[in-house]
Amino acid sequence: MTDDPQAAAPPRLKAQRARQLGTFAGLLALCIVLWAATPHFLTVSNLLNVLEQTSINAIVAVGMTFVIISGGIDLSVGSVLALSGIALAAALEGGVPAPAAIALALATGTACGLVNGVLITFGRLPPFIATLGMMSVARGAALMLAEGRPISGFTEGFRALATGRVVIVPAPVILTAAVYLVAHFVLARTVFGRATYAIGGNEEAARLSGVHVRFHKTAVYGVAGLTSAVAAILLTARLNSAQPTAGTMYELDAIAATVIGGTSLLGGEGTLVGALIGALIMGVLRNGLNLLNVSSFFQQVVIGAVIIGAVLIDMSLKRRR
Amino acid sequence: MRRLCGFAFLGLLAAALAADGCNRDTRPTTGGAPRVAFVMKTLNHPFFLDMQRGAQEAADRAGLQLVVQAAEREIDVEKQMQIIENLLQTAIKVLIVTPSGSREIASAIVKANRAGVPVIVVDTRVDPKAITDNNLKVESFIGSDNYEGGRMAGDYLAKAVGGKARIAILEGIPGHETGDSRLRGFRDAIQPHPGMTIVASQPANWERDQGFTVFQNMLQAHPDIDAIFACSDLMALGAVEAIAAAGRSTRIRVVGFDALDDARKAISAGTMEASVAQSPRDMGRIAVESAAKLLRSEPVPTEQKVRLALVTKGSNP
Repeated sequence: MTDDPQAAAPPRLKAQRARQLGTFAGLLALCIVLWAATPHFLTVSNLLNVLEQTSINAIVAVGMTFVIISGGIDLSVGSVLALSGIALAAALEGGVPAPAAIALALATGTACGLVNGVLITFGRLPPFIATLGMMSVARGAALMLAEGRPISGFTEGFRALATGRVVIVPAPVILTAAVYLVAHFVLARTVFGRATYAIGGNEEAARLSGVHVRFHKTAVYGVAGLTSAVAAILLTARLNSAQPTAGTMYELDAIAATVIGGTSLLGGEGTLVGALIGALIMGVLRNGLNLLNVSSFFQQVVIGAVIIGAVLIDMSLKRRR
Repeated sequence: MRRLCGFAFLGLLAAALAADGCNRDTRPTTGGAPRVAFVMKTLNHPFFLDMQRGAQEAADRAGLQLVVQAAEREIDVEKQMQIIENLLQTAIKVLIVTPSGSREIASAIVKANRAGVPVIVVDTRVDPKAITDNNLKVESFIGSDNYEGGRMAGDYLAKAVGGKARIAILEGIPGHETGDSRLRGFRDAIQPHPGMTIVASQPANWERDQGFTVFQNMLQAHPDIDAIFACSDLMALGAVEAIAAAGRSTRIRVVGFDALDDARKAISAGTMEASVAQSPRDMGRIAVESAAKLLRSEPVPTEQKVRLALVTKGSNP
């Protein structure tokens, strides 16, 4: 590898920490408001419930964070999730043992992501266009494979991925934590992570300083495909069914979690801790609005307003620095 | 930062434990009237708004506190599950649900069963295999006999065209019990008529705009279509627009399902032929009345059929 880790601009750690603190304060404030508003929010079972519900969006947001830090965007994650889920379910239905079926799903998602990456790096397509195309291709492929119908009915052993509990903590929460630990290590401590920041900060500078831009950029989209597939496994186990229409609009939820978490759409900065807090803010908000019986129409207004508000505050803090 | 996050989370958990402790005695007194949750497929469809109205009227009469929620999009089974999970946290006494997916709903019902909350299912049946696989307990199903409705539409159409027609079908979301039953009923009704042929059958996912485009495409492939059966009125109305846009001189008979207000108007205007009327308002009413019975520990029938009626130009008030 020709990469020189020293060449990549070091992430502005201090500034990032300050912003994370801000987002985290927002999450805490939200929790306090909900605690005051309803007795049902601050219970152990409800908090675990929120964490479990947030896990799928949080995992999709991992890949999205990599992509956005690298200065790109991935609109195909929801469709890739559906396709990976169908691949998984079709394999399970055909009698393939669960570990092999899971490997197949992960490979499917990663392959879709790598195709995105190759189209963007070697095909020189803008990420928006390449992944928009993939969004449609993967959705169509999922519908074709499943013949439009959901595939359902899996073994208890497989479903334990979503329904199981370790002491009282739901399995999806543990899986999410594991994904974040690994991804955080990769992003913060490895050459690949530094290259991701460097490419997003200034692609030309990264190239001149010896970062293998094409290779790393392609891999970044592969990561997004991979995390979509992980989310697909979880979703399939949770619903005991894989739907070809699953994951519609999940790309927007993942983008929202990422930006609420302080990752800049311009690339070059952002963290996974931020994305996790962003996903939790969205999950807590949805949960709280349900508990308070806010009309589902108004819920959408509130969630949109929070996304805009979070980024507005973030921008104004940045300007002040 | 990380340490701070950790501390804050532990603090939150501790506070939750403490709150759990104090909540336990105050819980029964919160709100007063028993809370009944009604989770619908969507709230941006007149059918479900009518259902909500019927349910609300019944709840007011029975002195129940009705909580109505729905996902933003009808097909979002995961969001519907989240809503149910969240409502189960709020000490509801009965859960009424119109499933977004007849199999996917099973996971949510398992959770309600485990929480000891009785479940009433409305409109879309839970897949029988999902019931036995998961050992689900559903107190009652309330809905139209969709198969019979499909038959009514088929019988009517066969009579109207004299047993000879080239038919296009607009299906709902594939794998949906509701749409599948209507389709089966319709096919069975036209089966005995050799002159009735189905030339195209495609899903338009219950939506008006998709009904428009899908039928437009069908017309390209089969310009000689002379009748449509749409598994819902929204799709039928989309097809009516497509026919108008195509400027066809010969008549295409459109039969829909649901008898929405817009469809009734189209039937009066002659752009639509007929529609099978369900009674969503009755469904909502019966569902809440059944919930009230369950709360009084009275028995409810496991299956409650709601009447259907064919709306045509002659019958349309």
